[in-house]
Amino acid sequence: MKKVRIISCMLLLLLAALAWVEGYKPPTPLKFIVPRNWPKPKYDFAKNPLTQEGFLLGRKLFYDLRLSVDSTVSCGSCHQQFAAFSTYEHNLSHGVNSSLTTRNAPALQNLAWQSNFMWDGGIPHLDLQPLMPLTAANEMGETLGGVIRKLQQDASYPKLFTAAFGSPLINTQRMTKALSQYMLMLVSSNSKYDRVMRGEDSFALPEQLGYNIFKQKCSTCHKEPFFTDGSYRNTGLPVDNTLNDYGRMNSTGDHKDSLKFKVPSLRNVAVTFPYGHDGRFFSLMNVFDHYRRDMVVAATTDTLLLRRMPLSNYEIGQLTAFLNTLTDTIFLKNSMLAPEGKLESVPFQHLH
Amino acid sequence: MVIDHAEKTMDTINKNLFLFWLLMSLALLPVAGFIMHPTRRVTIRFRHKIGAREMQLFNETYTNPFGEPITITRFKYYISHLSINEKELSSKTFLINEADSSSKTLVFTTGITSPQTLSFVIGVDSLLNVSGVQTGALDPLNGLFWTWNSGYIFARMEGKSDSSHAPAHSVNWDVGGFRSPYNASRKIQLTIPTDIIKAADPVIVIDADLLKWFNAKHTITIAQSPLCHQPGKLAMQLADNYSTMFTVAQ
Ligand code: HEC
Ligand code: HEC
Repeated sequence: MKKVRIISCMLLLLLAALAWVEGYKPPTPLKFIVPRNWPKPKYDFAKNPLTQEGFLLGRKLFYDLRLSVDSTVSCGSCHQQFAAFSTYEHNLSHGVNSSLTTRNAPALQNLAWQSNFMWDGGIPHLDLQPLMPLTAANEMGETLGGVIRKLQQDASYPKLFTAAFGSPLINTQRMTKALSQYMLMLVSSNSKYDRVMRGEDSFALPEQLGYNIFKQKCSTCHKEPFFTDGSYRNTGLPVDNTLNDYGRMNSTGDHKDSLKFKVPSLRNVAVTFPYGHDGRFFSLMNVFDHYRRDMVVAATTDTLLLRRMPLSNYEIGQLTAFLNTLTDTIFLKNSMLAPEGKLESVPFQHLH
Repeated sequence: MVIDHAEKTMDTINKNLFLFWLLMSLALLPVAGFIMHPTRRVTIRFRHKIGAREMQLFNETYTNPFGEPITITRFKYYISHLSINEKELSSKTFLINEADSSSKTLVFTTGITSPQTLSFVIGVDSLLNVSGVQTGALDPLNGLFWTWNSGYIFARMEGKSDSSHAPAHSVNWDVGGFRSPYNASRKIQLTIPTDIIKAADPVIVIDADLLKWFNAKHTITIAQSPLCHQPGKLAMQLADNYSTMFTVAQ
């Protein structure tokens, strides 16, 4: 124990000396603000303290096309800010070599409060998430070794890693920690709904009526303030016979989990269409018609929905008005989150 | 101007001297530790075999207990909780890789004077599967990591066989899984022979017979199961089988 303490003292001294000789500047801490009345984040910031340099490095990585095998796809290609970091207007996203993902890209927001990722919850830590798109043949098609080599050989990355982590070492852990630093800052908490909750604004009548219906019919699963309770449920989407996606069962191997998918957040839902785990619903109206008419009730269907969900046209109108209050334009237009701090606008035509 | 310059030089000399002494004292620390605690050196060496013969990657075609041919192209596994007399030699996880001979010899210093038993786990602690990205042997860059349903691959045997119906006649056994009920980690316990116990700096050679993958607690043929790519029943059976593959060489 004593030896350990002596060694760590010496190391600290050595670091201090190095800093003195090299003129090394420690990174500037970045504050993570927990919105009022929100619970404590689940991400362990102690293991990856946010810094301005780490965030900027993460942002650069997120938008860097060279992270894919043929330099055509970045994280930002499928996760577009104006669509709350989902893929704008796409049911499935496009990867390298004209490939398609098999699921709809979800919005990336409030990830610090999430402990499992993907529609089936197969990834148990935010830092582990980038490994999947980087290496999947239908996303970025690279190998981790290939990505790390490109970053090491680049002229600017070693400097940016030094600024963020204190030395030019580039490895998988540092790369994914930087990406997490960027993604953790994707906090959406400034929609009209949030302002109303903070007492800074008030709902119009249809919005208020919609909110009342929502609390009655939807919020068990789409729980406030994240509009998801993080659980996996079968809401009666029959399996698509080209995708054969059984959701949570893929991850747990348990038949009871067949066709269960993570309850998606409904924040910014107005801009994240198409909807559903495979993007089969092109509008909110399609989703409502599913809940009230098209659901297929089977063995693992959620007990709340065994008789589908009756919804009148009137209720649908009010619900839609309420759901529109969940759009957070401050988040969608925050230039800090955009590539090199420059905001991109919604494309006039299909981009990727 | 001249004075200014001299001052700057003095400053760098001072800094360099200081750094020099710091580095020297750091370098001497482990030596000091060694003198204070007399220890033994234990060497653990893994040998990969097909029956009685030492195996070779790529160059040879072997026959499994069911008469199926196989050429092995990759063979590697993670071991953790390496212990002697149930005392851990290291808290690290090691990647033993047939293609990297240096990975097959591990050297430790220990205060244990009479090593009777050796144990280790083939697998990676569940906590390390869920707490972000690790470094070193556990860097996902080493390829033993499932990225879409996160978790480490504990052991991989890969090759080609005319008995395999999988694309390109591949045999691809990736075994892993840390979530119950498909937790594929297995603890291995071995007894150390007396002449090794008595040696001053014991060298423990562990033989691993790859034929056990096919036939031990379960029979697993290439024709029936050429591929294992996820945690589940087949992975559990392969793990049961290979957990019997180790013996201490006499
Ligand atoms: C080719 C399109 C594509 C690319 C490129 C891509 N993603 Fe994704 N992303 C998706 C899809 C589709 C999903 C949903 C996957 C699933 O559930 O199976 C997803 C899911 C995620 C999630 C989980 C969100 C949640 O709420 O569970 C995160 C986080 C994420 N991506 C981050 C990234 C990062 C970081 C990168 C770059 C390294 C990246 N993505 C690159 C399409 C993409
Ligand atoms: C039993 C739990 C449950 C209830 C109740 C519920 N939902 Fe959902 N909702 C889900 C799940 C799970 C999904 C994802 C389904 C899938 O894609 O497989 C979902 C998807 C959605 C989507 C698509 C979102 C997207 O980004 O893909 C919308 C919109 C939606 N629900 C709105 C509502 C509304 C409005 C109500 C109330 C009228 C409601 N839901 C009630 C569980 C529920």
